[in-house]
Amino acid sequence: MLEFLQYPFMIRAIVSGAFIAVLLGWLGTFVVTRKMSLIGDGIAHASLAGIALALLLGWMPIPTAVIFAVFIAALIYLLEKKTRISSDMAIAVIFTTGMALGIVLLHFYQGYQPELLSYLFGNILAINSYDLFNIIVIGVIILICLFIFYRKILFSTFDPVGAYLSGIKPWVYDLVLYIATAVSIVLSIKLIGIILVSALLVTPSAIARLFVKSFKGFTLLTILLSVFIVIAGLILSYYLDLPSGAVIVLTGTISFIVGYLISLILKKIKS
Amino acid sequence: MDKKVIEVKNLTYKFDDFVALDKINFDVGKGDIVAIIGPNGSGKSTLLKCIIGMNKPTDGSVKIFGKNPRQVVKNIGYVPQNFEFDRNIPITVYEFMGLEKCGELKHSHSNIKNVLKDVGLSNVEQKKLGELSGGQFQRVMIARALLHEKKLLIFDEPSSGIDIVGEQTIYDLIEEINLDRGTTCLIVSHELNIVNKYANKVICLNKKMICFGSPESVITPANLKKLYGIGAGLYHSH
Repeated sequence: MLEFLQYPFMIRAIVSGAFIAVLLGWLGTFVVTRKMSLIGDGIAHASLAGIALALLLGWMPIPTAVIFAVFIAALIYLLEKKTRISSDMAIAVIFTTGMALGIVLLHFYQGYQPELLSYLFGNILAINSYDLFNIIVIGVIILICLFIFYRKILFSTFDPVGAYLSGIKPWVYDLVLYIATAVSIVLSIKLIGIILVSALLVTPSAIARLFVKSFKGFTLLTILLSVFIVIAGLILSYYLDLPSGAVIVLTGTISFIVGYLISLILKKIKS
Repeated sequence: MDKKVIEVKNLTYKFDDFVALDKINFDVGKGDIVAIIGPNGSGKSTLLKCIIGMNKPTDGSVKIFGKNPRQVVKNIGYVPQNFEFDRNIPITVYEFMGLEKCGELKHSHSNIKNVLKDVGLSNVEQKKLGELSGGQFQRVMIARALLHEKKLLIFDEPSSGIDIVGEQTIYDLIEEINLDRGTTCLIVSHELNIVNKYANKVICLNKKMICFGSPESVITPANLKKLYGIGAGLYHSH
């Protein structure tokens, strides 16, 4: 039954997947509260330019994409706060520009690049020990930041003016949230893929909000669901021999449908 | 002792070349209820942001309790017209009331319960914020300001989108807080009858200050024509 645990690549995928699930689940609660679900898509797609640049120059793709994503997050933040461009417009412009730049750069890359498909759609086999190390170390740093700044990010999310009036600088915590989200998304790309990674930022929150009343409960249930969706998706992708990213996202969608039906039944029982 | 809570002198605020506020002057004393009226786009929200220090004046100055607003922000409570967050996200009233503690358990459950009772809300602490009506939500916001004993309360259209009963309840509550606690209140409103009933001073704003004074002296057909460009006035029942 648990034969997949015999394979080191599956252990690496499950451990890294669990880390990514906690990060994206937790960050997703803030992202959906701020009605910024598009940011995941924007950063993931724009980071193709960073990956393409690394492949072209022979650099390490994920560390390059992490640096590129921090730059993208800061750019989205600046466009949103310092100009009259709305959040969705800023994300859409950067999303398409990054993707276009990535495609142009890849055009100059000579020869077949099988790894590129892993970046686009995710691949369990693509996670090596070096990726696992990166995900754990950077993931732990982000989790520590989230623990330290949790209340301030929370206050800035729900009431930025109130946060400012209580002596907090909400723009600092907005930037922390944007950068943490950008880095977490890039860490997830090899497992889930550029095209699909944003689903993990949104789907667990969309299910959790159907069942809880408090934000504390919302955060905990979102993280649990996120871990469940990633691990169940990875195991299914192993047994069905299908791309991991797509199976994880479909597991999330099925979980949402089941969750929604359960919530309707519970509402009927209560009334 | 200086009793001025807000002092605005020659305040000018520009977005690029667009003049949003032009040489505004007024004072607000302790315990005043001051209303700001004016058409949409007249600079009311920009003025509020200058008063709380979020917008830096292009020219002139704003002082709160005799100091730069940024030095005294903790004494200011702000009740916005609406929030940008998704109201369907689960958060209890208790959690929302406690956002300001930022990690310190400064306010016990009973303090929050009492202050909610003061604004006429009982047994709502464990309710989802999204389940409250617009009027109840505004009262939660006022309760939060009371919890933190703010000395100056600023309301940006507090009854926007709220029915007539809710509107009356909110303004009665503002008046009660003002009388019982001596809290100074600054309110942006479009409701001339409400302004006439509750405010003791009125600022007419349309980028420039059109008039400033008691409701009786300010809310006149001539001033309202100047402010809104159409004939307007108070509604008198027979």
